[in-house]
Amino acid sequence: MLIEQLINGITLGSIYAIVALGFTLVFGVLGIINMAHGEIFMVGAFIGVLTTSVLGWPLWLAFLASIVVTSLLGYLLEIFSLRPLRGKKGVSHLAPLISTIGVSIFLENLSHHMFGAGNKPFRTAFAEIRFEIGSITIYLVQITIFVISVILMVGLSVWLSKTKAGKALRATAENLETASILGVDTKKIITLTVIIASGMGGIAGILVGMAFNSVSPQMGLSMGLKGLAIIILGGMGNVKGAMVGGLILGLSETLLVAYGDSGYRDAIAFIMIILILLIRPQGIFGSKTAEGR
Amino acid sequence: MLGELLNPYYLQVLCFILINIMLALSIYVPLSSGQLSLGSAGFMGIGAYTSALLTIHYELPLYVTILVGALLAGVIGIIVGIPSLRLTGVYLAIATLGFGEVIRVLFVNWESLTKGSVGLTGIPQLGRELLKFAKSIGIEPSALGLKNNQFVYLSLVIVLLIIVLFILWFVIRQQNSRIGRAYSSIQMDEKAAESMGINITYYKVLAFAQGAFIAGLAGALFAHTIGYISPSDFSYHRAVEILIFTVFGGSEVIIGSVFGATILTLLPEVLRFVSDYRYIFYGIMLVILMAVRPQGILDLYLFYRLKGKRIKRGTS
Repeated sequence: MLIEQLINGITLGSIYAIVALGFTLVFGVLGIINMAHGEIFMVGAFIGVLTTSVLGWPLWLAFLASIVVTSLLGYLLEIFSLRPLRGKKGVSHLAPLISTIGVSIFLENLSHHMFGAGNKPFRTAFAEIRFEIGSITIYLVQITIFVISVILMVGLSVWLSKTKAGKALRATAENLETASILGVDTKKIITLTVIIASGMGGIAGILVGMAFNSVSPQMGLSMGLKGLAIIILGGMGNVKGAMVGGLILGLSETLLVAYGDSGYRDAIAFIMIILILLIRPQGIFGSKTAEGR
Repeated sequence: MLGELLNPYYLQVLCFILINIMLALSIYVPLSSGQLSLGSAGFMGIGAYTSALLTIHYELPLYVTILVGALLAGVIGIIVGIPSLRLTGVYLAIATLGFGEVIRVLFVNWESLTKGSVGLTGIPQLGRELLKFAKSIGIEPSALGLKNNQFVYLSLVIVLLIIVLFILWFVIRQQNSRIGRAYSSIQMDEKAAESMGINITYYKVLAFAQGAFIAGLAGALFAHTIGYISPSDFSYHRAVEILIFTVFGGSEVIIGSVFGATILTLLPEVLRFVSDYRYIFYGIMLVILMAVRPQGILDLYLFYRLKGKRIKRGTS
């Protein structure tokens, strides 16, 4: 029983981690919170439903379609709501917040309109395949989700630490002006960051669809809020923190539902961040200079 | 003539505008000391539930319960405000947003007291109580040429208007006082303000608690205006809506909050002709506004320019 719960928790946690990675990448580079990330994630999930259940495409193609659409959304987000605000004088840190909230309201209501308000089922061919090891049941879906998220996280870490573009991204995150002086095309890097973050949101959307078998226009909101909580928990703009924070949240939510009061499930993320902000405001992995933003 | 103008629907929209102005001010006051607090929805919920439960269970007079609700929100504002001092900017925003969400989940789960997600019904309405009071001292609505429900809403609008004007008067007076100057110096540069001998802890918590008090007051009045509340009235959406009121109108000047709350409460009503698409338009409008005027519609510069023009006209 406990091991099954732990497996559920890790599955949920790895999805949370991917959502949080999207937030943390954008925050690390641009220093802003992308409130539309949850809704981009939700659109990704709907593309998954549309391609697998309605059009009957195979799952890998659904992933591809979702990544393409969400990356495109990320690009549009950057062009229409982030770029106009950059480099202007007297723009407070509120402006990008409101602007991305505008995008999130737009996307939520657009999908409400296009797909209807209710939950949509998400069918995959192997939803019922499971393995029984002793008394423990593991679903193939859970393994798939876990493997995909590990590949994504490792891939992102390697990309960030080894490749030229990854290094340029980290340099831009460190200091935009210095990076630009040293010959990094920061404009391109920023666009790339938003696109990658959104594409990861799209992947997370399909994974959530697979894990819970249902997709609704409102799911972006709660996932977005939890993603925010996770990046505070792990440390703003910190990639490792987002992964660990996601796993911690996933595990504690699952264990709370299994052994405690399930009604408080949605509050646990925020109780955790309120505690962490009081004890260690920079987050678990955050650096000391957590002020000023 | 008067009877036709005082359509209950218009009056109700007016009530919501006035309540929303209070809510926008509840963000404006902490913001004027440099703190972005998104906990207004939570404080509003505390005020609303406190006042509603007190009237339902103990049948206390409304002016007492509304005040108790606002005061409780203010006290919780102090309790939340002190640890929040360690946080700035976006961190404070997310933590207070989290506080609001915790409050909402508490309302959903504390079923013995709050009836869970179903919400509280049958909350005494302020307008009807005013009607009863007016009748008891011998004023009949028909004597003023009004129907009963017109009188209900009209008296409500007048009471809310008085409260809003009082809060506005208070905040504007405060801005030109020692406290207001302390707020704006903290907003400009905290360290410099501290070195000038301003007690930052005191003033930041004061601003935070004032915001919480105003939000709680607005929440209590909200509960007694519509007579029905549920946890979803105080969700993330409400918190964001309130923030948008202030930022849309212009967060630098107090009139910006009033303007933003008025326009944005009216807008969904005006946009009814596009019914289903109105929130899509709303989202697009926010993006365009931030791209064109990131400081909000009204700002200090605009006022200086208007004043400058007036002076020129006066001299020439």
